Amino acid sequence: MNILVVLRMIPDSAGELQLAEDGRSIDREWLDFQLNDFDDHALEEAILLKEAGGAKVTAVAVGEGTNRVLQMAAARGADEVVALQAEEDAMISSREIAASIAAMARAKSADLVLCGVQSSEDVFGQLAPYVGALLDWPHVSGTNRIVANGAVLRVTQERGAGVAVTYELATPAVLGVQTASKAPRYVSGSKLREASKTPIGRAAPESSGFERSAEIITLRLPVQGGSGENLGGDAETVADRLVSILAAKGLARN
Amino acid sequence: MKLIACTEGHSSKIEAFSLEMIAAARSIAQAGDEVVAFFAGRDAEGASASFGAADRLIVARATKLDVIPAETYAVLLRDVVTAESPGLVLVPYSANGLDVAADIAARTGWPLISYVNEIKRHGESLTIVAQMYGGKVLADCEVQLPAILMINPGAFAEAAPGPIAAASVQTIDAEPTLASGKVRMVAIDVPDYADVDLTTAERIVCVGRGIGDEASIDLARNLATMLGAEIAGSRPVVDNGWLPKLRQVGKSGQKVKPKLYLALGVSGAPEHLEGMSQADLIIAVNTDPKAPIFNVAHYGATCDLFDLVANLSDRLRAGSGR
Ligand SMILES: Cc1cc2nc3c(=O)[nH]c(=O)nc-3n(C[C@H](O)[C@H](O)[C@H](O)COP(=O)(O)OP(=O)(O)OC[C@H]3O[C@@H](n4cnc5c(N)ncnc54)[C@H](O)[C@@H]3O)c2cc1C
Ligand SMILES: Nc1ncnc2c1ncn2[C@@H]1O[C@H](COP(=O)(O)O)[C@@H](O)[C@H]1O
Repeated sequence: MNILVVLRMIPDSAGELQLAEDGRSIDREWLDFQLNDFDDHALEEAILLKEAGGAKVTAVAVGEGTNRVLQMAAARGADEVVALQAEEDAMISSREIAASIAAMARAKSADLVLCGVQSSEDVFGQLAPYVGALLDWPHVSGTNRIVANGAVLRVTQERGAGVAVTYELATPAVLGVQTASKAPRYVSGSKLREASKTPIGRAAPESSGFERSAEIITLRLPVQGGSGENLGGDAETVADRLVSILAAKGLARN
Repeated sequence: MKLIACTEGHSSKIEAFSLEMIAAARSIAQAGDEVVAFFAGRDAEGASASFGAADRLIVARATKLDVIPAETYAVLLRDVVTAESPGLVLVPYSANGLDVAADIAARTGWPLISYVNEIKRHGESLTIVAQMYGGKVLADCEVQLPAILMINPGAFAEAAPGPIAAASVQTIDAEPTLASGKVRMVAIDVPDYADVDLTTAERIVCVGRGIGDEASIDLARNLATMLGAEIAGSRPVVDNGWLPKLRQVGKSGQKVKPKLYLALGVSGAPEHLEGMSQADLIIAVNTDPKAPIFNVAHYGATCDLFDLVANLSDRLRAGSGR
């Protein structure tokens, strides 16, 4: 089985986000870029499928810091790594890159395309259904378990309330991974150093093929606070206040 | 113009967000417009009994399956879109919607905006407020119709449930489409809520990724015990295997409404807020003052969660005379 897994680099939104001067994007200058969480799970699922039944895993990465993440993917077990060129300093839109990923899936004779279920930097859609529809392959998003039995996939999808639904489908297919069957593995420094010699392929982007798209006019930071009270940043003071708040509401004791 | 509100149900239940989709469509419908609800599933009766706020209802009726695979839902919806030529299709941000919205967008070529909180209409275009970066940034977007929107659950108040006139209901048989589908449903696993049922818990201490590692969960668990609270976690904490799945709060976890919700190191992504923003008292501890959890918290603190847990545990221990 040939697996193509897509790795998108996105800004670390746990840090402070500032708006760029044009008001349409965030200031990327001082941001840390990291692998989209869900794509990390997609990579892990690809490697787990390879270990379980044999597969060739091609990782394609897009965005700021792709070389580093592709070396990490190689260290974790990807057989081939490719950097997809993208406009510098631009947000990665799945609507924009879907045609490139579909073309690569064809070129690599992929049986399975894996990507993260979503990216927090993308309001224009989700990659798995875009790629699935462009290829006319079935797609299932929100997976937390993928088992391959030859060309037949068993895929478990998370629903609300902890309910899980299992589907069966045949390859070729596109899956939007929510959670890998096992937590993403840690790679040692020595493995990373070894993988740093892996040659990184380059791919030029295809045109998206869409004539009309929505547009971001401005970005803004939500007005904060609401009616909540800020107790500040001193743990001792906060603890004192919480004890009295909880006591007043009869919640301090069990 | 026609506006299609996509609705959902499973087994014999209509998803409550279905009524939000109808309300969202209604909120921008103008005189002469028609709000058409689309439902695919088993509970055709439930749909007819609930979606009276729509002008018309198209039901793709399944007779056997509890859950319609999104692939089939999308094929059925595509036919409806072709037949009706709507100006707008509203899809909920749900497990099903995640597959349906961009599928329809790709096949029609229409623009799509996801994670939508607000919609304003200006003739043939819409201005939209959508959420990005886990709720830390709002994007004001513009889109020309026809278009597709994926709407956040909770962004619109539910339309009043009520029956729709039988004459306004059109029923399609979904079975042939299901039979020829490439994605087949084979099982539904419902967890056993006997061990833990967060939905009935009165007090919850929830840890997020800020807790750092599995060993530190015990600190929060001890605090929870002192408070008579259940321990819970955000998605990454559960994904890492630090807490069992039944203890996850949020979109794909449990929807909770306790008297006390203490969130430690939780950023407050929209998918997390969906599960807990209705709690009576929300206390959030997060070193990032811009964390969206503070938008729903009644009390917020920006200290390190470990310092807070240590200090609060000391005081509760002293208070109980131990
Ligand atoms: C379809 C779908 C369904 C989902 N369902 C769910 C769901 O059910 N539940 C859910 O939770 N998520 C869900 N998510 C994921 C969601 O988008 C977020 O990724 C997740 O909620 C983030 O979890 P977190 O807040 O723990 O982690 P992060 O976003 O990484 O936040 C960690 C926070 O901890 C703070 N922090 C770090 N160290 C400390 C410290 N020492 N003291 C205090 N604060 C600290 C940081 O400032 C940061 O804000 C879903 C996503 C999708 C796409
Ligand atoms: N969000 C969901 N998606 C799909 N099926 C569900 C969901 N929630 C519950 N179910 C199934 O619907 C049936 C009734 O569930 P309950 O909500 O417990 O009444 C059971 O067969 C559940 O497995």
